Amino acid sequence: MSDSEKLALVVSEGSYDKAMASVFLGTTAAGMGMEVHVFFTFFGLKLLKKNARPKLPGLYRIATGMFEKKMKGVGVDSFGEMLETAQELGVKLYACSTSMEAMGMSRDQLVDGVDILGAAAFLNIAADCKVQLFIG
Amino acid sequence: MVDEKIDAQGMMCPMPIVQLTKKMKTMSPGQTLELVADDVGALEDVPAWVSRTGNEMLEQRQESGKYYFVIKKK
Repeated sequence: MSDSEKLALVVSEGSYDKAMASVFLGTTAAGMGMEVHVFFTFFGLKLLKKNARPKLPGLYRIATGMFEKKMKGVGVDSFGEMLETAQELGVKLYACSTSMEAMGMSRDQLVDGVDILGAAAFLNIAADCKVQLFIG
Repeated sequence: MVDEKIDAQGMMCPMPIVQLTKKMKTMSPGQTLELVADDVGALEDVPAWVSRTGNEMLEQRQESGKYYFVIKKK
């Protein structure tokens, strides 16, 4: 594998399914030696709040606990634990600066190790990434 | 004999790969690890991980619904 293999993910939704897809892909890619950059924007930003507990979307919301239990049964950790694992493996997390403002969030509400970026700065990173995926 | 073992039975994608990544980080070059999984996804995932990371697959076999992989750390 070449050193230049990088993955850019954009996460624009804050529901459990989108949250897990982003940490699954992020941890796996980092585990495969890729450099991983994840940009959280709009409702995706909620996932970077400390102790975030995302719910399934829409009517499935009430089934979240049951679903989480099922995931635990197949060895899958909670979103918070997976996000920690991602950071341990070197996954870089970014919060969209405009979304921070729009959602009235401040840096101290976010998990540690998150950089706050604008669109241009993230696109500057993404332009050098071989794989770019949008989760939303 | 292998140096390390991971029993990933009952785990679904991507957890066998996450466990594999974590364990391999603690190992020294030349050491070997056996991973056993029963998620059918592992059949393609583990070889893909091994080739991407430049490690070496020493052995791969299937036995009664279980997938065994022996990997040598580069």
